[in-house]
Amino acid sequence: MPAISSSSKYDVIVIGGGHNGLTNAAYLAKAGKKVLVLERRHILGGAACTEEVFPGFKFSVCSYVVSLLRPEIIRDLDLPRHGLEILPLDGTFTPMPNGDHLWRVNDHGKTHREIARHSRVDAEAYDEFGKAMQAMCRFVKPILGMIPPDPATLNPKELMKLLFIGRRFQGMSSEDKYNQVQLMTMSAIDFLDQWFETDVLKATMSASGIIGTFLGVRSPGTAYVLLHHYMGEIDGAFRAWGFARGGTGAISNAIADAAREAGVEIRTEAPIAQIMVKNGRTNGVVLANGDEIYADVVSSSVDPRLTFTKMIEPGNLPDEFMEGVKRYKFRGSSGKVNMALDGLPNFKCMPGVGAHLRGAMSISPSVEYMEKAYDEAKYGHWSSHPYIDMVIPTLTDTSLAPPGKHILSCFVQYAPYKLAPGLDWDTEKEKFGDNVVNTIAEYAPNIKDIILHRQVVTPLDLERTWGLTEGNIFQGELSLEQLFFLRPVAGWAQFRSPIKNLYMCGSATHPGGGIMGAPGRLAALEILKDGAA
Amino acid sequence: MPARKSSGEMRDVIIVGGGHNGLVTAFYLAKAGFKPLVLERRAQVGGAAITEEFHSGFRCSTLAHNAGPLRADIVRDMQLEKHGLKFTTPEVNTVSLLPDGRALVLYSDAKRAAGEIAQWSQKDAASYADFGAALGKIGKVIGEALALTPPNIDSPSSGDLWGMLKTGRSIRNLGKKDLYRVLRWGPMAAADLVAEFFDTEPLRATIAARGIFGTFLGPWSAGSALVLLLRAAADPSPAGSIQFPAGGTGAITQAMAAAARQAGVEIRTDAEIAEIRVKDGVATGVVLASGEEISARAVVSNADPKRTLMRLVDPAHLSPDFIQKIKNYRCMGTAAKVNLALSALPEFTALKGKSDGLLRGRIQISPEIDYLERAFDESKYGNFSRQPYLEMTIPSLADPSLAPAGQHVMSVYMQYAPYTLKNSDWESQRKALGETVVKAMAQYAPNLPQVILRHQIITPKDLEETYGLTGGHIFHGELALDQFFTMRPLLDWARYGTPIERLYLCGSGTHPGTGLTGGSGANAAREIAKALKK
Repeated sequence: MPAISSSSKYDVIVIGGGHNGLTNAAYLAKAGKKVLVLERRHILGGAACTEEVFPGFKFSVCSYVVSLLRPEIIRDLDLPRHGLEILPLDGTFTPMPNGDHLWRVNDHGKTHREIARHSRVDAEAYDEFGKAMQAMCRFVKPILGMIPPDPATLNPKELMKLLFIGRRFQGMSSEDKYNQVQLMTMSAIDFLDQWFETDVLKATMSASGIIGTFLGVRSPGTAYVLLHHYMGEIDGAFRAWGFARGGTGAISNAIADAAREAGVEIRTEAPIAQIMVKNGRTNGVVLANGDEIYADVVSSSVDPRLTFTKMIEPGNLPDEFMEGVKRYKFRGSSGKVNMALDGLPNFKCMPGVGAHLRGAMSISPSVEYMEKAYDEAKYGHWSSHPYIDMVIPTLTDTSLAPPGKHILSCFVQYAPYKLAPGLDWDTEKEKFGDNVVNTIAEYAPNIKDIILHRQVVTPLDLERTWGLTEGNIFQGELSLEQLFFLRPVAGWAQFRSPIKNLYMCGSATHPGGGIMGAPGRLAALEILKDGAA
Repeated sequence: MPARKSSGEMRDVIIVGGGHNGLVTAFYLAKAGFKPLVLERRAQVGGAAITEEFHSGFRCSTLAHNAGPLRADIVRDMQLEKHGLKFTTPEVNTVSLLPDGRALVLYSDAKRAAGEIAQWSQKDAASYADFGAALGKIGKVIGEALALTPPNIDSPSSGDLWGMLKTGRSIRNLGKKDLYRVLRWGPMAAADLVAEFFDTEPLRATIAARGIFGTFLGPWSAGSALVLLLRAAADPSPAGSIQFPAGGTGAITQAMAAAARQAGVEIRTDAEIAEIRVKDGVATGVVLASGEEISARAVVSNADPKRTLMRLVDPAHLSPDFIQKIKNYRCMGTAAKVNLALSALPEFTALKGKSDGLLRGRIQISPEIDYLERAFDESKYGNFSRQPYLEMTIPSLADPSLAPAGQHVMSVYMQYAPYTLKNSDWESQRKALGETVVKAMAQYAPNLPQVILRHQIITPKDLEETYGLTGGHIFHGELALDQFFTMRPLLDWARYGTPIERLYLCGSGTHPGTGLTGGSGANAAREIAKALKK
């Protein structure tokens, strides 16, 4: 590794203080690098942030549950010591218009009996399904921790990686192969149809196949996203979701803490005007205030469109690469509605305060409901009957709201970034919020009486405030043609860029979005491997 | 000896169904020294590639109205020209009609097409050439893969490896740019693919339509780009070339039958098969509906996988797991057909005063991507499209013999017509379907209703019952990423064999299985000959 150049103040500048940027910085600092993180906003965390939007109410404004955070990162950065505490989120409750409900919990026996209430066959299939999905997860997990190979080279090392995947595939039972292939290519519903007959069960399960994508539950490719979310793991248990005590911002803060301890310097309210490029190599950044900061390496955790079209002077990048960047699809499709409540929602189909309020509550009554929600979005309208995923974190973590008060966090799909001609999000924003409240009220009528404050986050807000282009929560769609060695740009999936010493480390790189941290970690390993800093 | 009467003799190879793939397989097996017997349920061979008189004096390609195009080596080997097959390629490839009275004309000649497109967008005119070139390059490589028997994933044979190596090499020769294109395009939506090349909406929609033809996909469905590429492999012209056989598509299968007979194939029509006989896991022959039994060394089915393995074979001979997978093989048709006998040519508003040459190609109603997607939306919920996607041809312009002097036949593909209707059935909806199609066409050709002498309306149910296409699927099963190449029809069973020894598949439900190309039949014959000679 070359001696650290003395001309530069830093070894590495990390653009963006989201969970991936911070993870990237922490790993680099732990390897002895002098690292500076520059965050545009006044707080860290990017989309994994906790903000006191209304006095006494601390919202996980964007991302609101954790599941995918890589165990090796929790270990390597010793996050629990830095204050990370994951509280369990047990179960998914789906109210139905006919007064019935579907309530799945981690307790196997309970869930089995509950599903059997709808269909005995499905209750049996549900166990089989779980087993099959775990086998799939075991196949995909190592790929998540892997630098994507480049299938277009003849470099033996790259081909070995492909061979490794091929071998793992061959190693699977023919049953698992069959499932794996289907999972990678089918629609969530086509896939689930093969296992289950209960409509509401399929609808609720398929929901995780569409989160953050501009696809419907019947769109091919959504079965994979289903797996992507199934992969969630806490303490080694598949499919376990949880809250971070103090909101998702606490995750970012724990990582930031670990980074600082390792010597990382972090500056907030330091927006970047430009990434400096000299003879095809970067040597630092220029802040909006004009300050120039020099470094051997710049590692950008913001998405490729911001990095390569907004922060780099035209002409520094090859056309073919820029075409790829231009083509990379964002298409935000979801919004958030966060509410401060004076009490708890009272569901018609299950009145009173119960454990069902402590888990996720899903408005996904039927497959047709889900698909129709998508149809509206295709033509540029937010869904009049949206899919809503709700949680009440205050039932698990009382520190988030004043005594007796609660927070209802609603993830809403579809909210297309690009609205039909004549519509714009600034005028639609509150109508969109009202519609969410009305939709919930169909199942829990008292909701309207207990709302103290409401915060609506549209895809446009996600772009303006959090720098998520077109409001895509994953920094780009998780669609097959944008995964693995195609993410974000074919031929540039290994965290490097055509500009020497400029790297990508955000969710727009393999393995993609969710509070996972994998891109930040993998990018750090590549930077160190190159000895670039 | 079973009680039922038996023709006694032991046949060599029986081929169930005389569709184009069955005839191609029979021909190549005969060439390989076998004595195939083709048994066809209907009065004439041809399957979905047939010409029938549907109104006195009016003949029409009942179903498929455009040749595949057939794989060149098959045309050559079978000497189809010598057996009377004659193609005409119209100057105009496609006329795409717009509601505002305009029309986008795509000429078969690429230069001329570009010239026409330039009137809409200079940039698109240039992209049109690029797109065609890219399809040509990539199509060539995919074409090689299509001619390949899908490898055995568990233990690839040396032959498999060699074939894959060859394809692998030509894939590398594509160069990085086009290789990445293949990888990216496959899983994409056709709408996204065309948007990467073109700005002109009608051009986008007209080309994207190729990715949804015959499938349960909309232009925004991921994977519809794959369908487009599969078809481009046989035919790189962006909108898809169009070729009319003199005498309709039935002439293709008639020529094939003649070639097969000459090669020593015996063909029996009106010979419906009731059951494929299986003994101790080995296919031993067939039982006809008449009760006649014919035993054979091997049975090859041109019927689709579901019909073959769930209806013709007693499920008792198959493992529950395999049956489950065949059940899950997606085979829900979305296309319907309306054939019209016309007293005169329809007058399309958009083409007023222009030569009837413009009507000699494909006439499409696919004005914009969202129009196609909306048509698809209805089918998802079990309704047929009120504003359908239509592909029309007037073959009698190129071949006057199809209709009385001065009169015409019009062949219309309609999408979407889902096989399963929500709280209704096709018998009660048949008339409504015909009216919907005519109404949609009348928006573009107001005089049409007055010149119609007769409709022939073919619903997905008819496709199943009359023509034996399970689920009414014109491709014997959805063309999708999970039912393609090594997964067509099922992973581990993509090599034309089945779990039943000496029972083989050769229809469109096997790789490559796209339209009227003969690819599946030729590939199957190669594998079957190899297996039977062991």
